[in-house]
Parts: sequence; structure tokens; C-alpha cells
Amino acid sequence: MPNSNSFAHDYKLVIFCIFFIFIMLQSTKENILGVYMLEKSTEMHDRFWEIFSQQDIKKIDEFKSYMDRFAVNFNLYKDGNFIEQSLPFDVIPRIIAKEEFTKIEKGLQHRVTALNLFLEDLYTDAKIVKEGIIPQEFVDSASGYLKEFVGFSPSKKVRTHINGIDLVKDSEDDEWVILEDNLRVPSGVSYPLSIRDTYRKIYPEFFEKLKIEPIKNYPKIITDAMKHVNTGGINVLLTPGRFNSAYYEHSYLAKESGAQLVRAHELVVIDKKVYFKNYNGKKVLVGAIYKRRDDEFIDPKFFNPESLIGVPGLIEAYLAGNVALMNAVGNGVSDDKGIYYFVPKMIKYYLGEEPILKNAPTYLPYFKEDMDYVMNNMEKLVIKDVAEAGGYGVLFGHSMSAIQIQDLKATIIANPRRFIAQELIEFYDEKCYLNNELKDRKADFRAYVVMGEDVKVWNCGLTRYALEEGNYLVNSSQGEGFKDTWVMEL
Amino acid sequence: MEQLLTANVATNLYWLGRYLERTEETLYEINKAYDAIIDIDKDAGVKLYKKFNIDLEYTNASDFLDKAIRGVHDANIVNIITQARENTIICRTHIDFEAFGEIIELHTLLQRISKSPLPIDYKDIDLILSLISEIWCAHTKRGHRKSSDYFFKLGKLAEEVDLRLRFDRNKSVTEAIIKDINIILNLLNPDAGLQLLSYDEEDDIMESINTVMKKLIIED
Repeated sequence: MPNSNSFAHDYKLVIFCIFFIFIMLQSTKENILGVYMLEKSTEMHDRFWEIFSQQDIKKIDEFKSYMDRFAVNFNLYKDGNFIEQSLPFDVIPRIIAKEEFTKIEKGLQHRVTALNLFLEDLYTDAKIVKEGIIPQEFVDSASGYLKEFVGFSPSKKVRTHINGIDLVKDSEDDEWVILEDNLRVPSGVSYPLSIRDTYRKIYPEFFEKLKIEPIKNYPKIITDAMKHVNTGGINVLLTPGRFNSAYYEHSYLAKESGAQLVRAHELVVIDKKVYFKNYNGKKVLVGAIYKRRDDEFIDPKFFNPESLIGVPGLIEAYLAGNVALMNAVGNGVSDDKGIYYFVPKMIKYYLGEEPILKNAPTYLPYFKEDMDYVMNNMEKLVIKDVAEAGGYGVLFGHSMSAIQIQDLKATIIANPRRFIAQELIEFYDEKCYLNNELKDRKADFRAYVVMGEDVKVWNCGLTRYALEEGNYLVNSSQGEGFKDTWVMEL
Repeated sequence: MEQLLTANVATNLYWLGRYLERTEETLYEINKAYDAIIDIDKDAGVKLYKKFNIDLEYTNASDFLDKAIRGVHDANIVNIITQARENTIICRTHIDFEAFGEIIELHTLLQRISKSPLPIDYKDIDLILSLISEIWCAHTKRGHRKSSDYFFKLGKLAEEVDLRLRFDRNKSVTEAIIKDINIILNLLNPDAGLQLLSYDEEDDIMESINTVMKKLIIED
């Protein structure tokens, strides 16, 4: 008869052996690759790592070679010098389960539909203001609100053609949270598009063995959106020119979508119609313009007579309904971080439904109750200047000195409309393979949502990661890196 | 429908063709001069650069190579390719994908050469020439020709004429190239009646080419 003590001893031994083998396997893998398995790996991540462990790690260098060879650049001005540089790229993709992405997709369609309805309403009947959902004063003081366009409705009533919505995944409740809406000129889409092609060439096994959603349809999505609003004529992409930070993206999208890449002086307005100037002097009618510059620089005749750039008369043609502008002029109002606060209310107001995706908990010092909260909790909040973008004008209470906080409080009290405060979201880190080691870095996600005949969410996005450990600010304009995003089915 | 091109893109394609042809032909001549300087004619490099209106001074064959490629003068190969890269970036929407990559690689190679403290290696010249050949190949493999291809080709031919005139090469070949240019001018703008006269009828062929280009590409 077996001794119960002996059985317990054998059992413990077996457990110990299994644990020992597991540790050995892990350390062998670590020695070979210099990487660790993800702590909380999902089945999809396991599959990724299984394939990754069989790959030649040295091939990672080929990504940089590719970006150099095809000048996949982001331009910067540093100390007055023009610098073309490739964005830092990390080989480990962000993986989002198809099922999870479907929820994001629905939430984004919901949100962008509401934002489009809001802009259309705001510039026509302004019911949302009249009914007190959003204070009039709040709208009037939004820097992107253009009163001159009140009463004008653009082609097919589409205003939010191409949108970049920034999200993070909250590690506390595992939910995706919207951080920002970019409804003017969102950039960055060309980087994941370009790198995916390279990924497929360098590591085809991933795409053979895993069910990764294809992404090549993005140019088609924007072409369809342009076609939908086109007033009759060719499509063009209006670029500030070769020295713009996103010139690579402009030329990439123009080439892939078939739109003509033009600078302002290559368009001319005659009798309230916009024409493309061909090399031989012929003028070709333009029906849709995907503008990659801010509103105030598109027409010196309308906005700033001193400006040397822009297409004189373009706004006249637009208001006459003779050309579509993507995105619509005046969308800047919804990029205002103060207006962001009201988006959940907009969704309820226009769609009669609760938002599918939440905003980050936000406080408007404009309202007394919120002001009190902000004053008493500034150390744990993130303060944002409502009119800034590109990662500028963001202050983290926890990293400020007592004197800085005091100064900031005084600034907010003097101008409460200029700021919002948000709870700091502990969003998930992503694994990054940096300097031959796996490291955790904060990463956000920009989703691209395109509105044409319907609202489409691209099956990918721009995952941006912070280069420094513990940095919560991730933005390409701040020189941070990017990685591919794989929407995957099990 | 004809291919649409802005004047800016057309101009940059034209100059891209010119700069690449200029680099290729100049390098062939540099190779010949380098070989001659070693033991046949010490002044071969001086004579060569006289044709570019440049007074080049050097101490030996290696020094000639160095001055020709990265010396401070207008025919500096590094600068020519920097210009070509700029043309390429501007008109990348109308350039073959692989050709674009080769041009960027060519520029990177020349930047490396220009910054290297080491003497110029003749093998680098072979590499540059090989990259340029690949660019022409990538361009010519396209079956269906568009206006953008013709502007690129036009630049190449115009530069060929320029170099042939500078080097006083066989007249009948130059005449044939002028005919090719006329065919392209007609394809790009059949209504404008832009044509160069024959070799003997033109007083200044390059001046005529420049005049015709100004009429072909209407800036405003």
C-alpha cells in the first residue's frame, strides 16, 4: 500500500521537474533570441512568438534599409536645419484580436458619424447649441470654429472624410479609451502601409501562417470617399510641398490613390471653378481636393491676404459647390480638446445611444465644479492646452514641481477655457525590441476612419510607442517610434 | 486620356534624366582620363575638365579621381547626384518604384564616398555606373510609355547632345538623337509644332533645346 507521504513527495518532485524543464526551455529560448515570452501572452501572441522564434533576427536590419532606400521619411526642422529622417520602427507588431477590433470599429463608426452630424448641425441650424448641450460661448471660442461658414453645407453633407482617432487601452479595466479626435489633417497612415509591404517580404511566414487582416485597401477607401463627394472633375491631393514634414505621405497617397499631387500654385480658380494646370498649359477641372494643410493656408483671398501660399479663390469655388474639400473647412472646432469633452453627449444627442467607446475622464475648468476638482487634484492629472496638437501643450501633474503647479493653476484660473484636465490613464505597454532586448514602452493607437458613402474603419492603424521608458507622450511629431498593427483572427 | 503632369513634375523628370546621363557619361570619361594619367598622359584630366570649363588641378591619378568626384567645382559628381535625388523626391509619384530606390541608394553611396577620409576607390565608380544602368533598365522595362517617361527620356537625350557637342563626337549620331528629341516633342505636345532644326541649321543647339523646353513646359 502506498505511503501517503511518499505520494506527496513524488507529486512535488513531478511538479518541480515540470517547472525546471519549463524554466530551462525559457532560458534556452532567451539565449538564442535574447527575448522573453510575453508575461500575459494570449493565444495570438503565443502564435506570433512561436513563428518569431524561428526567424532570423538579423533580418530586422532590413526594415531600416528599406525605409532608407525608399526614403520613407518624416521631415523635421531642427535648429533651423531641414532634416529628413526615418521614423524609428519596432519589429514587434501590436496585435489586436479581430473580435476586439470589431468593437473598436463599431465605436469609431458611431463616434465619427456623430461628429459629422455635429459639424453639419453646428454650421447650419446649431440645434445642439440652441438646446444647451454645448455652450455657445464654448463654440465661439474654439480656435477652429469658422463663423464665415455658417449656413454652408458641403458636398453630400460629408465633413469628416478622413479622420485619425487616437486611442489607448486602459490596463485597469481592459477597455479602449479615446484620447483625441483629429478631424482636420490626420497624418501617419503611410508608415504602417509602407512597412507592411516590407514585413511581408522579410518575414512572409507570419502572413502565411496567421490570419492577419490585409490592409492594402486604404488607398481604395480614400479614392471611394473622394469619388463620393467629387463635384465633377479630377481628384487632387494638395501638399504644402517637398519640405513639409509629411511630404513622403503626400506623395505615397497620391501615387496609390491616383490623385494628382499638387502645390497651391498648380491650381487656379476661374469663374468659381478649380482647375489643375497641366504642363502643356491645358486646364483640367478639379472635383475633389484632399487638402493636407490647415484651413488658414488654403486661400489667401479668403483667410489671410498677406499669405503667399494657398489657392486664391478656392473658398469661393467651395462655397459655390463646385469643388469638394477633404476634410471640410471648419472641422478644427471638433479638434479642440474642449469640444472633445462633449462628444459622448453628441453621440447621445444625435444617435440616441450611449457611446461604445469611452472618453478619458475629462474635466473642464470652464465649469466651476470641474475647476475645483482640477485645483485640488492637479498632481495626478494631465493638463492639455485645447488648441495644441502633435503632443505639444501637454503637462503631467506628477512630473511638475510645486512652483510649476502653482503657476499653472494661476494660468488656468485666468483662462479656464484654454485647458482641459484628464485623469492619467495607465494604458498598456507594448513589447518593443530595442537594442536587442525586449522592453516595455507606452504605446497609443491612431485609427483611421474614412467617411464616404458609408463610414469605414481601416483594418490597421498607427501604433506609436515612446522611446523612453515611462514616457506617456507618444507622437510622431515628438520623434517617437511606430510599429505595425495586426488585426488577427484566431 | 493623356497623362496629367504638373510643370514642376515635368521639369524635375527632365532634369533627372539630364543629371543621370551627365553622371554616367562623365564617369566614363573620368575612367578613361584616370587610366591615361597613370602612365600615358598626365594632363588627361586637365583636358577633360577644360571641356566643362573647369581648371582642375591634381598631383596624380588618385588625386584626380578624388577631385573629379568630390572636388569643389560645378561638375562635382556628389552634387549632381544630390540634385538628381531632389528631382526624384519631387516627382516620385511618376517614377518607377525600383528606379526610385536605386537613385536614393546612389545618393547614399555618394554621400558615403564624399564623407569618407579614405581615397576614392575606382570600384566605387563601377558601383555607381552599375546603379545608373539599373535605373535606366527599371525605366525602360515599362511596356506602356507615358508622358512622364518621355520627359525623363527627353532629359537623357538633351544631355547626350550636350556632351556630344562638348566632346566633339560623331555628327551623324548627334543628328539621330536630335531626330529622337523631335519625335518626343511631338508626342508630348502635338499641337505646338515644337521641333529642333537639323544639326547644321542650328546656330546653338543647346540654346534651342532650352528654348523648346520653355515652350513645352508652360510654368504658368
